[in-house]
Amino acid sequence: MIVAGRTGSDGVRLVLEAEEAMLLSELADQVDSVLLLGAEDDPALGRLLPNAYPDDADAAREFERYTRGSLVDGKRQAAQSVRDATAVGEGERLVEIELDQVQAWGWLTFLTDLRLILAERVGLGEEGTPEQDEQRDDYLRAAYEWAGFVQGSMLEVLDPTES
Amino acid sequence: MTETLERLDLDRATDPVIERVWRTIVWDDPVNLMTYVTYVFQSYFGYPREEAERLMLLVHHEGRAVVASGNREAMERHVQAMHGYGLQASVSKADP
Repeated sequence: MIVAGRTGSDGVRLVLEAEEAMLLSELADQVDSVLLLGAEDDPALGRLLPNAYPDDADAAREFERYTRGSLVDGKRQAAQSVRDATAVGEGERLVEIELDQVQAWGWLTFLTDLRLILAERVGLGEEGTPEQDEQRDDYLRAAYEWAGFVQGSMLEVLDPTES
Repeated sequence: MTETLERLDLDRATDPVIERVWRTIVWDDPVNLMTYVTYVFQSYFGYPREEAERLMLLVHHEGRAVVASGNREAMERHVQAMHGYGLQASVSKADP
């Protein structure tokens, strides 16, 4: 994977191996599913939509009532745009993606949401899980580290004063 | 209608102490990259890099930091934005 600045403009340019693009696309689809279908008591959703008033249940409910819809919409749009940008055409070995500053913001927030979900999922399966779950955790952990690497690389290129 | 009334109330609150009793608090989350938290503080709040890094380190070491203060409506907007960026944030009333 290559992460670089764009010549003559802000934003970032990404070059992904087809395999990396497919993985990212799949993960973006899963984040979208959690936001769309996640059960009310899914702790991962709690990470994405935290309590704004930990000491005031009424205010917390009220805040959630009028912010949840647009927060979920924004996060789903970010995940969907990553999924669409990482679609791999037949026979393609590399996927090149150019993002302007606004689009790059969407990627950064998606990668954050993805890591929050993965961290929650990995934390769940720790006590006496069968081997299959351990393998799943290894996979999730690798995806978590990789998403952090992608985000960190983008942050080295992006200028926060330009958005 | 409600909005007009609220605006009037705010105009009347000329005492800066009264206007700044609400706070936006960002909580430490081991998941988020330090560079990302700094980026959000710089980009969203417009803090200079040094101030953004100072606040990020405060979150990291103390577990939380007040990143803004003002009227309640503005603090709720900030917290909603922080949640949009994946940061753990809450609205809190300052101690009298």
